[in-house]
Amino acid sequence: MARMNDVGGMEGFPAVAQEADEPAFHADWEAHVFALNGALIGRGLYNLDEFRDAIEQLPPQEYLASSYYEKWFRAITSLLVRKGIVTEAELAGG
Amino acid sequence: MGERFGPGDRVRASRTDPAHHTRIPRYVRGAVGTVVEPEGRHPLPDLSSRRLPAEPEPVYAVQFSARELFGAGDHTVTVALWESYLESAGAGTRAEEL
Amino acid sequence: MSGDHDGPAATIAAQVRRLEELLEQRGLVDPEEVDGRLAAFLTRASPANGARVVARAWRDEAFRGRLLADANAALPELGLSMGGGLQDQRLTVVENTKDRHNVIVCTLCSCYPLALLGPSPTWYKSEAYRSRVVRDPRAVLREFGFELDPGVRVSVWDASAESRYMVLPRRPAGTEDADEQALAAHVTRNGLIGVAPV
Repeated sequence: MARMNDVGGMEGFPAVAQEADEPAFHADWEAHVFALNGALIGRGLYNLDEFRDAIEQLPPQEYLASSYYEKWFRAITSLLVRKGIVTEAELAGG
Repeated sequence: MGERFGPGDRVRASRTDPAHHTRIPRYVRGAVGTVVEPEGRHPLPDLSSRRLPAEPEPVYAVQFSARELFGAGDHTVTVALWESYLESAGAGTRAEEL
Repeated sequence: MSGDHDGPAATIAAQVRRLEELLEQRGLVDPEEVDGRLAAFLTRASPANGARVVARAWRDEAFRGRLLADANAALPELGLSMGGGLQDQRLTVVENTKDRHNVIVCTLCSCYPLALLGPSPTWYKSEAYRSRVVRDPRAVLREFGFELDPGVRVSVWDASAESRYMVLPRRPAGTEDADEQALAAHVTRNGLIGVAPV
């Protein structure tokens, strides 16, 4: 089954876009997602392979349209919902 | 348990196409390459991503010619592949050489 | 708060905060741990580390040999390691020569030698880089303003497993008398990835 992350050799993508003096994170929330992922894996709520799997299972259009840390956040929430740690309703603030 | 392959061995990357998570990229599947070096032993991510028991197994850096992978190019691509993703290609197996 | 964002960015920032609140309430996340991880990552991991390794290898032939034979064993000589991250990482250092140029990628996701290079640039993680550098590395290098001599063979390294790769660039001409600190100043992150000569 082809997954959207497996892009090695795929044709049609544009020139590589570069940002001069790029910061590690473009917004605070990205930094929080990065640190949160490490903390949750450290606590054993899921492992790194499950995390990569969850990113890969994002629908292809969502995968391509999402920024790097948006992909991470979607993957983390889908894992936590699937494992019954949080619910969609709770995440929505209900 | 020892390593099945050593540096210089010709190997073929599996033509697998699983529905689950795997770390064998599509662009190397079915291609013949040469083992560069062993790169430690790690549990197969196909299993650990599904929380199935996974004993560490050897991983190898395997070098492929661009022509073998893409039909064109004069470069090589070296990919780190778990032993489960590899079969012996044996002496006399044809691959596109540089 | 989120007053400085608008549109979808505000939504995701709020969603992240909401998730953190829930996890903190449940005792699954400690806010100090989150801050601590961030601080550690941003301060310890930087391309200055990789540059020091390269400078040492340029000046010390025996160290260079040890680095190429077993990089993980050689790093502690500089007080460095590949640890501090989510998993054990084996490091392989790949050396540029007059006949061979190396460039690294993770086609499947974004694996990168964080400990030695710091946070990865967005372009490294992009589908454009990951898809194209394995098929046509010279074209990608050209986009970085780097025209490789036709006689040089390119080796692309795809970090698809637990190994991480770092390039040992060629020492620039005219640096014969430079000390390690001066040598390290020549080394850029792009050189350690392989999209620049050094």
